[in-house]
Amino acid sequence: MAVTVREINGEELEQVIRQGKALVDFYSKTCGPCKMLGFVLKDVAKSVDDVEIVLVDFDVNKEAVEKYGVESYPTMIVFNDGQEVTRVKGLQQKPKIVQMIS
Amino acid sequence: MALYDVAIIGAGPAGMTAAIYAARANLQVLLLDKLAPGGQIVNTFEIQNYTGMGTINGAELAIKMFEHTLELGVNFDYGTVTEIQSEGHVKKLLCEEGHLFEAKAVIIATGTKPRMLGVPGELNFAGTTISWCAICDGPHYRNKKVIVIGGGNSAVEEAIYLAGLAEEVTIVTLFDLTADPLACEKLRSLPNVKIYEYYDILEFIGEDKFAGLKAKSTKTDEEITVLADGAFEYIGLKPTAEAFKDLGILNDYGYIEADACMATKVPGIYGAGDIISKHLRQVITACSDGAIAAQSVAKYIEKLNV
Repeated sequence: MAVTVREINGEELEQVIRQGKALVDFYSKTCGPCKMLGFVLKDVAKSVDDVEIVLVDFDVNKEAVEKYGVESYPTMIVFNDGQEVTRVKGLQQKPKIVQMIS
Repeated sequence: MALYDVAIIGAGPAGMTAAIYAARANLQVLLLDKLAPGGQIVNTFEIQNYTGMGTINGAELAIKMFEHTLELGVNFDYGTVTEIQSEGHVKKLLCEEGHLFEAKAVIIATGTKPRMLGVPGELNFAGTTISWCAICDGPHYRNKKVIVIGGGNSAVEEAIYLAGLAEEVTIVTLFDLTADPLACEKLRSLPNVKIYEYYDILEFIGEDKFAGLKAKSTKTDEEITVLADGAFEYIGLKPTAEAFKDLGILNDYGYIEADACMATKVPGIYGAGDIISKHLRQVITACSDGAIAAQSVAKYIEKLNV
């Protein structure tokens, strides 16, 4: 099934990461690298399968930010069945993000 | 392996404009970037002097430029070029990722990157508690203490931004504040800002955790210790040109020497944008360089094909 990039809130995040693989991008609407990463993630979505790619607004979802210890944006965290697998801060190139997911 | 007419290294405003002009000249174009389209403008919150755009976010302008580039059939790929081998009429581009690309001509548009101080302790904290992006890493310092190093426009603007978040912002600069006078005035008026002018940074301190820095007055030799939770460095930019030093096209400061046609002294290799030696580094001048470089490449290729 085609992967899409969608925005969710902190409560939905718990549902999304519970089962399977998910890439969560904590971003801010005011941050340039976050905007570019959002653009790159749409391209990443065309190259991957069986993963949820979701955006969580850092400035709005403070509980999730605190729970997952996110200190800056953009921060990407890959979860597998609820467990954090890897995390990376800052804008990244598409091949590296694809590699993180696979 | 495909032989492109032109390979453009760096997908900032200069590289993307060069790609647009080269594609419109019917050249086979490869545009490479090590990270993502946009270059430095991705980190610019607002651009207010790009003709016709009014005020636009830097990342949004980068995305518009990139979509325009792709619409014209430009091939975009990711690659960190570590060496250009100039073998007659074919240039070989070797990439850190293991890729090899070949082209008849090359436009280098790799821009600049933030300069570092090079003092003890800096590498221990670089990328964690020493940062170059207040917009990205500033939120971590809400109600904490931060240091901003530098006194130019970027330092002053980012210090004003950080003062709205942090408990205390301390500016340490080797000279006085050289930014726009109105911005300097605003910064000086903020109650949670301290400014140390004419101080040379000696070292960053802290064992496992960042603790601050030591600096020495260049006027009185007084040594100070500034305690803080993190630091932001804004002490200028340096050219991203290490990969091209063996070509003999760089000046003493590491910038590419290019003529009015953007040609270097190596036939078929051109420079464009912030990477070249020039007086004004702006988005609009980078685009201008890119356009000129692409037109020069088109003429170079035409001569090769005769």
